[in-house]
Amino acid sequence: MVKPLHHKLWRDVRRQRAQFIAITITIFLGVTIFGATYDSFRNLQASYAATATDFRFANLTTAGGDVATIATEAAATPGVESAEVRSVADIPFNVGGVKLLGRIIGVPAGEQPTVNQLSVLEGIYLAPGSGDVLVEKHMADHFDLSPGDLFDIRMSGRWQAVTVAGVVASPEYIWPARDRQELITSADNFGVIFAANAEVALATDGSPNEATIYFTGGGEDDALSNDLAAMARSHGAISTYTRAEQASNAGLTEDLKGFEEMAVFFPLMFLLAAAMAAYVMISRVVHSQRPQIGVLLANGFTRRQVRRHYLGYGLVPGLLGSIPGAVAGILLARLITEMYTGMLSIPVTLVQFYPATLIGAVLFGLVASLLAALAPALVASRVMPATAMRGETPSGGGRRSTVERLFPPIRRVPVGWRMAIRGVGRNPRRTVYTIVGVVLSLMLVLVSWGMIDTVQHLMDRQFVEIQQEDATVYFGEAAGAADVAALAEIDGVAAVEPALTLPVSLGSDGEHHYETALLVLADDTEMHRFLTTDGNWISLPRSGLVLGQATQNLLDVAVGSKVAMTIAGVGVVQEEIVAFVDEPLGTMAYMSRGRAESLTGDVLPATSALVTYEPGTDAAELRRTLTELPAVAAFEDANALYAVVQKYMVLFYGFVGIMLVFGAAMAFALIFNAMSVNIAERTREVATLLAVGTDRRSISRYIAAENLLVAALGIPIGLVVGYFAAKSALASFSSDLMALDLYIRPTTFALAAAAILLVALISQWPGLRAIRRINIPKIIKERSA
Amino acid sequence: MTIKMTDVWKTFGEGHTAVDALRDMNLVGTQGEFTVILGPSGSGKTTLLNLVGAIDDPTRGELLVNGHNLSALDVDQKVKFRRESVGFVFQFFNLIPTLTAAENVELVADLTLPNGAERAAVVLEQVGLGDRLHHFPGELSGGEQQRVALARALVKQPPILLCDEPTGELDFETGRMILSLLRRVSRETNQTVLLVTHNAAIGDMADRVLRLRSGVIVDDVSNSSPVDAEALTW
Repeated sequence: MVKPLHHKLWRDVRRQRAQFIAITITIFLGVTIFGATYDSFRNLQASYAATATDFRFANLTTAGGDVATIATEAAATPGVESAEVRSVADIPFNVGGVKLLGRIIGVPAGEQPTVNQLSVLEGIYLAPGSGDVLVEKHMADHFDLSPGDLFDIRMSGRWQAVTVAGVVASPEYIWPARDRQELITSADNFGVIFAANAEVALATDGSPNEATIYFTGGGEDDALSNDLAAMARSHGAISTYTRAEQASNAGLTEDLKGFEEMAVFFPLMFLLAAAMAAYVMISRVVHSQRPQIGVLLANGFTRRQVRRHYLGYGLVPGLLGSIPGAVAGILLARLITEMYTGMLSIPVTLVQFYPATLIGAVLFGLVASLLAALAPALVASRVMPATAMRGETPSGGGRRSTVERLFPPIRRVPVGWRMAIRGVGRNPRRTVYTIVGVVLSLMLVLVSWGMIDTVQHLMDRQFVEIQQEDATVYFGEAAGAADVAALAEIDGVAAVEPALTLPVSLGSDGEHHYETALLVLADDTEMHRFLTTDGNWISLPRSGLVLGQATQNLLDVAVGSKVAMTIAGVGVVQEEIVAFVDEPLGTMAYMSRGRAESLTGDVLPATSALVTYEPGTDAAELRRTLTELPAVAAFEDANALYAVVQKYMVLFYGFVGIMLVFGAAMAFALIFNAMSVNIAERTREVATLLAVGTDRRSISRYIAAENLLVAALGIPIGLVVGYFAAKSALASFSSDLMALDLYIRPTTFALAAAAILLVALISQWPGLRAIRRINIPKIIKERSA
Repeated sequence: MTIKMTDVWKTFGEGHTAVDALRDMNLVGTQGEFTVILGPSGSGKTTLLNLVGAIDDPTRGELLVNGHNLSALDVDQKVKFRRESVGFVFQFFNLIPTLTAAENVELVADLTLPNGAERAAVVLEQVGLGDRLHHFPGELSGGEQQRVALARALVKQPPILLCDEPTGELDFETGRMILSLLRRVSRETNQTVLLVTHNAAIGDMADRVLRLRSGVIVDDVSNSSPVDAEALTW
């Protein structure tokens, strides 16, 4: 480029620095978010993968059946590196007076298992014959347990004290989930400990009940998993799950998916917004500099030189935004990864530098800004010098607005307001871009806000509308009707119902299987309400099976289909599906006690009891009273679980809050540029109106009204597009672990719309202030202003 | 409405870049007088007009219009002055492209008195655009646009009319027609007119001709027998 043109470019940039800064910041934000989220995603993916390999995370786990044979056959299968058996049991713990239903997992004493190894964070690994236990980190943190501490566990019908040998992290419990149906647990209700296999076997009738299989090199192999799962089922396994299906890993994978989605969705919106803002501004520059372009061309500048010069207007914010943005993104990714892995105690944290992300981020920013500059640059290079040098004809073709044609009474509003209404259609392309900007901003706001509303709504549905119990009381051993009735006698207990939870495997044909829990509830249960997938609240049907909606696709079944239900210790029973329910957390199976007893031909015990409190009951006191009962092993307060969810939500709110701030910044940058151009374009009109005696406030009102009208046009579109974008974003997070059906409160729509209008109003402020500085004599004398 | 300038200076810029657009100007204009201001580019013609129209302030000196010192007015008072006392006609018409001819006039008419739309129609009829009321500027010729601009200036019935090269963008015939219209209306309403132009021929239709050079009045001639605009030629 010829040197004086460089000067011109920089001086133009300086003259319109506010607009260039807005574009640069938007590009910076887009590139930063891309770099931060994409690298965080890659770092976390690498950390999880390294953890899985370093700690030999099982590729397949089978439960039930002849686990010794399953492990032996698996070990002999090509592609399998290790297979071993272990005992796993859910038993009552008593830690400092808090009773909970914990999990004890058998590991070899004196040496790490060959599958699912542990990372010893404090203390030492199990010494042979010590009788000590290793406590999983989440439980140790919650109860402040350290090596040497004692607590009680209930094994073989009696409480016994155990000593903590060490605190460990396990690849199976990075996210402390009991199972896929109970992805969110309170630390007061669930904890994991590891003890010598022989000791744990006491809780599982003396023999191991799980086989864990690790493939050669630790890599996933779906075909091998399927073959081994089929083999395991043929040996009586009632449940098999792959590494991907394992509860903790599945939860983390969902989370990772969120990072991956964000790494594309949010940056794309920011860069699109930046590109539009740049396009609007550079178009205006080209339009206002037509006479200059004419002079350049007339004096021998080539069209290519002119094109390159105006591409520079995109290159400047592109470079200034994307290079620091990429660096900031990479640094932020490092911070996010370390915070995240630290918070979850992921044993292996890999923070790497990915040059491709740096290059990609810079390229994204540059491409967006150069593409934005391309169209105006082409327009500039195609200007006919003779026409351009004659200057702009100020009076372009005006016409009545569509709204005036459709609603003629509008023609009677004061002429100043008519001017504002017609201004909307004055530059259709810019109006469209401003509308698209508003739409993008609303999308960003609604996707973020929709997540908050949805999760809040679903938690309310789960914990307020569906689950009616105040607490679940777990029995140490299977309890009878008398044990349940005894609970009802306790002061403060309003009602009690027995519940029986059984691990089951559902199969619709030879191919589809789904492992879940069957919850057998009282025939006329009032503790659990059922919302069917068609939106009706029903009572628990006396016969038939009620399934979570995710099973419809997982098992390829419908209402009326029969499923084969494999129940440990009972065998296989065929049962008809009578309804699918829409429950946010987990995918359970439900059956009435009467039906379950008629199918099994036995009076069934209860593994737990669902309890409601009398009004005004002291929940903590009742918990103490109930957990002191010998039959009671653990107590789970529904509110405590709700509180756990709310605690996790705080992080979520923080993240979404940042997105909202970014969204507002993006909306501001975009609308600010469009509005600034809008105001700049009518400088001469403003000067004329001022000269003839119109006061500045009236002019500001007309211009603000016009700009707000444009913004308002984008709002309904933005709300609709935002709604579907949020729906699509949430759908990608939905699984059998959690059903995220979008719910946005009506007030959210109203507040989002009001926020955008507010941003539109505020973003005009600098432009409207500039009206005060208009040099009336100069402007009205100019041919082209 | 009388205009009185006493020792008025207008300087643009500061220090080495300072330029005196008007230098020690003294002038008295009387009610109903049609004054043509002539001079080459940079002589200070438009600056003089802008000071009288209160869209710019003198650097020094006193400018009284009907006894009111314009420099002493605050922003709102200046807006009121322009709204009630001054009509502008610009070289480049400066019409709002999204408003029709009638609406452009109505916009200004509404600033002073009620029934702006009716008054706009009447004035546009007076300037010969009764059949072009609902045309947008883009649908009008240059002469028609300038007539709309003239109507916009006249609709407030201001005592002072300030015209800056009103024929500069027009062909000979159209320019002469605009001048004729201007002269007729100003006589009918007894308006004080200050008209800036490069075109010396236009001076023949004025009651008074001022010649400016380098910010100084070099000639101030009264014309007791101005010719009709139709008789002008250039």
